[in-house]
Amino acid sequence: MRVLIAEDEPVLAGQLKKTLMSEGFTVDVAMDGAEAQYLGETEPYDLIILDLGLPVRDGLTVLKNLRSGGNDTAILILTARNDWTDRVDGLDAGADDYLTKPFHMAELSARVRALIRRHAGKATPVFTHHDVSFDTRTNQVTVKDVPASLTSQEIAVLSYLFHNAGRLVSRAELSEHIYQYEGERGSNTIAVFVNRLRTKLGSDLIGTVRGRGYIIKASR
Amino acid sequence: MSSLRTRAVTGGILWAVAIIALGLAGLSSYTTLQLQARFLEVLQTRHSQAVVAVVNNSDSTAVLENAIGDLVFQVPLSGQYWQVHTDDGRVYASPSLGEARLPAPTGRATAPQRREFVGPNNEALVAIGQWVRMPDGALWHVRVAASLKSFEQDRLSLRNLFLRVFAFVAFMGVLGALAQVTVVLLPLNKLRRDVSARWEQEGGMDVAEYPVEVAPLVSDINTLLARNSEIMRRSRRQAADLAHAIQTPSAIMRNELDQLMQQGHNVQDAHDALDRLDAQLKRSFARMRADGTDGATGVATALDVALARMQRAFDALAKNQGKTFVATYDAGLRIRMDQSDFDEVLGNLLDNALKWAASEVRLEAGSSRDGQIMISISDDGPGIAKDEISKVTQGGHRLDTSKPGTGLGLAIAHDLVHAYGGKIMLSKDKDLGGLAVLLRLPAAAVPKRRD
Repeated sequence: MRVLIAEDEPVLAGQLKKTLMSEGFTVDVAMDGAEAQYLGETEPYDLIILDLGLPVRDGLTVLKNLRSGGNDTAILILTARNDWTDRVDGLDAGADDYLTKPFHMAELSARVRALIRRHAGKATPVFTHHDVSFDTRTNQVTVKDVPASLTSQEIAVLSYLFHNAGRLVSRAELSEHIYQYEGERGSNTIAVFVNRLRTKLGSDLIGTVRGRGYIIKASR
Repeated sequence: MSSLRTRAVTGGILWAVAIIALGLAGLSSYTTLQLQARFLEVLQTRHSQAVVAVVNNSDSTAVLENAIGDLVFQVPLSGQYWQVHTDDGRVYASPSLGEARLPAPTGRATAPQRREFVGPNNEALVAIGQWVRMPDGALWHVRVAASLKSFEQDRLSLRNLFLRVFAFVAFMGVLGALAQVTVVLLPLNKLRRDVSARWEQEGGMDVAEYPVEVAPLVSDINTLLARNSEIMRRSRRQAADLAHAIQTPSAIMRNELDQLMQQGHNVQDAHDALDRLDAQLKRSFARMRADGTDGATGVATALDVALARMQRAFDALAKNQGKTFVATYDAGLRIRMDQSDFDEVLGNLLDNALKWAASEVRLEAGSSRDGQIMISISDDGPGIAKDEISKVTQGGHRLDTSKPGTGLGLAIAHDLVHAYGGKIMLSKDKDLGGLAVLLRLPAAAVPKRRD
């Protein structure tokens, strides 16, 4: 799951990035509104954390521009202003949720996970497929109730496939959602992660459509 | 200080009384002099006629009573008398004197002498008398007297007439003054109405609608009102900027503390201090906002626009939490409240309702019978016990710490609503079972069209 943090305060942006990365998210940071809009328009994020008080172009304008350009990525707005007008403006312009500064990092991660999950149309925080279950709140994976040990990249691949369960996901799309902007991307390594996941969680969890991509069938 | 109308009318009345008193005094003394002159003139004429009649009839005194022919001398005690003394001691008198007699003459003056006596009726008399030589060489004293009573009566009746005329004039004068004051004060009354209307309507007053004497005042008031709202806007902006400047560093500190905590360090005290700091700041900013609202002018918010925004915003938030938010409101409602303050009140209340609701939040807005705006926000959450209700509006009292928050939302809404002269009432919702917040807000007039 790939997240864009648009926050001009470098220390706070760093803290946000560190926290979200530790929870298995792939994170890019934009330091101003113009960069945030550019990245939002060109990169396929699963969520954008958008500070309303950005320099160069304010967050509300970025939000409006993204929405009017047809971008429907989940957007969580951050505001340091106490007044509700800013928040209502943001929500009215198409933001999905808000947080006011100062906030608890745990609250932010919970909101981020919930937003991504709801945006993917999933109602519950725990995804299951046969005897494999994936808890988005803790990133814990169990097979027949026995915890499985996965690397962060394996979790990233599994998380994206679970969030998009029932839909065919290409290797390119997968790599776009688990690698950072300007990071090294290799679709071959995706195949390696998928194979490891099959070894650890069972071979029937992730299906392959040759030459097109992977799919976790929607569980009933 | 007394009103302009009272001043003008009191001033007018005092001035009229002074003028009338002066006029009355002047006119009275003039007419008294005139009456006196006329009285003496008549008396002199009657004396001359009496002298002629006495001289002509000195040889036949028996006809003397008829010879001085004026009828007033015949009527008993009429106040008009004559009396003749001969040098040999005889006395003849007018029938009007009856048995009474005037005092005997003193001296031997042959020129007319004026004297005053007390008459037979105990009235003051003025008399003219002189010694006249008769054709036979004898000296007779001829005297004619008249009572001052009729003179006094004339004087009094004239004075009463003057008083009535002047009273009428004074009454008309006061009426005129009142009418004039009313006409003169019309622009000022309009100004007062316009200034109070500015509470409800945007835009300044039109200087061209006022007379030249009042126009500068109107222009000054416009400037003052504009400056007032500019100061309010600026101080709010500054408060918001300050909040912005403080809250980002506060967020950074909080995150560092969180991290230290996760690493097993005991930073609970620092954490609590930061929580208190944040809550205090939030409360102070809310107070600044509420204080800046006292005396706000020219503000009105169209509820359908403001509520439609709120509905879209809280729809999104409700969906995130798998809850529903239903808003129903009448069209065309307007409140006398700044939109950002309204956002603040509704944002806090709806956020609170959504946080505690099990599945549903409802908003209803309409107008009350007395024309005020009523907004109710209810949820199906746990509600608040009756004895806790006063605590939550004081702020800083978190009844339940199981959900994040500063416990300030209701207090902030309470302060702001009160600053606008509105009311906020908390109760248990009969339908949904949770908390029902009822807001009563001042309605704003429908804006005047400027062509």
